[in-house]
Amino acid sequence: MVNESAVVKFLKGYGRLTIFMMPIGIAINFIGGQIALLLKLPVYLDSIGTILVGATCGMGPGALVGAISNVLNAITSPPTLAFGVLNIMFGLLAGYLARRGVFKSWSKTLLSAIPFALIGGVLGAIITIWVFGGLAVGGGALVVGALVALGLDVNTANFVAQVPMDILDKVPTVMIVFAIIKGIPNRTFAKLPLGYIYLGKNKAGASSKPSGTSVS
Amino acid sequence: MSSESGNAVAFGNRFRTYVDRGNPIRNMDPIVVFIVLVAIAIAPIAFPGFVAAAIVCLIYPVIALFAGVAREFLPTYLKLFLVVGLVLFVLRAAFIDGEDPLFRLGNIAPTWAGVEEGARFALLVMAISGAVTLFFNVATVRYLMLALELRGVTPRATYVILASFQSIIDLGRHARTVLEAQQSRGIETQGNIIVRARAFFPILAPVFLAAINQTEERAVSLDARAFNSNVPHTHLVMLRPTRPRELVVAVLVVATVLAAFIASAVGWF
Repeated sequence: MVNESAVVKFLKGYGRLTIFMMPIGIAINFIGGQIALLLKLPVYLDSIGTILVGATCGMGPGALVGAISNVLNAITSPPTLAFGVLNIMFGLLAGYLARRGVFKSWSKTLLSAIPFALIGGVLGAIITIWVFGGLAVGGGALVVGALVALGLDVNTANFVAQVPMDILDKVPTVMIVFAIIKGIPNRTFAKLPLGYIYLGKNKAGASSKPSGTSVS
Repeated sequence: MSSESGNAVAFGNRFRTYVDRGNPIRNMDPIVVFIVLVAIAIAPIAFPGFVAAAIVCLIYPVIALFAGVAREFLPTYLKLFLVVGLVLFVLRAAFIDGEDPLFRLGNIAPTWAGVEEGARFALLVMAISGAVTLFFNVATVRYLMLALELRGVTPRATYVILASFQSIIDLGRHARTVLEAQQSRGIETQGNIIVRARAFFPILAPVFLAAINQTEERAVSLDARAFNSNVPHTHLVMLRPTRPRELVVAVLVVATVLAAFIASAVGWF
């Protein structure tokens, strides 16, 4: 039961609010990481903004937030550039999962930590092996170094160290994303590209958008 | 009275002359600076061993000195050397297999091959890191975005980048306020890990939701400045047009690096 004017308003809002959501998402990525450091938590929590924007604005904006965050991160820590593709994948996956309605229920959201952690852990380990020969920098590298010193080979050590660390990171990340989505007011959802999902509406009248997966 | 109008004229003239950042290198077109630094950063990949990378790492401080940003650049770069370069070097030197270990320490037996490979890789990474660090010291993001906009990048894209920097500062400040407010209301930020983890959400969520509520004001204020109109935007700041000598420098550097890569592909080194 979406009347004409509501559809017109929805389309007008599309894209406009997204360019304001992206800087917020980028800032949340940084601030999440900073608060995690401040509270001395052993996790990064630096992809909350990417997943949040992916879940509310779609795959494109989510991927852009990940890419820009990565470049800004590189200003102070240039080797992180090599891991940019991870952040882009997080944004894409968040947009894809949101279209499937994953972020509407907390149990599905919790399960979504697994694909995120697999991307972060497995792809992260692969990049570490390819680009840095298995020995990168940061806290993870010391764990890898310790495992190698214990007699594991470098590649195994990377997977062993990174996958559990990423699950530990992504479970709180997706739960925070879920809780924040719960707190976004409906009037804001009405202006966000994927807001219709959380308002429980069909993507009626929005067929002019390029990708046409309908939400059941 | 006359001095007041003089001030007004001086104020107005600030917008009629080109931006002067007080140094020939910092006055260069940021895009030219970018191209030159990228070329310098990737050059050592063409050479075997670690000498070329070491030379490149030494070129940056010299450029920084001439650009007048040595005071900002050197401490950051030295810190990167200690935090990143040293770790990359030590891990590689310790774990890469080879013959004739230099000494033994339990399972760890560094070899000369490992030290050499470690030095090459660490210095290559530092060559790229140095270019990134130096670039952001020499060029300001604002003028870089303006330069991109003048070359046809959409203002929406440059807005997102500039707004991101501002948002990181704004939301960071807000996060500290919220942290203190929540602490005064009794949220524990010390103690064991579960207690600390539980404090995370009540700090981050208000920051994000407040930021979302401000987006509408931002949308209105951008519309009030005709941001979304289709005519070309005007700018308060005028960038100096790219000078021919800057282009000559860029072409020379890029050509030299290209020659090095071709020479290495042909098998000269």
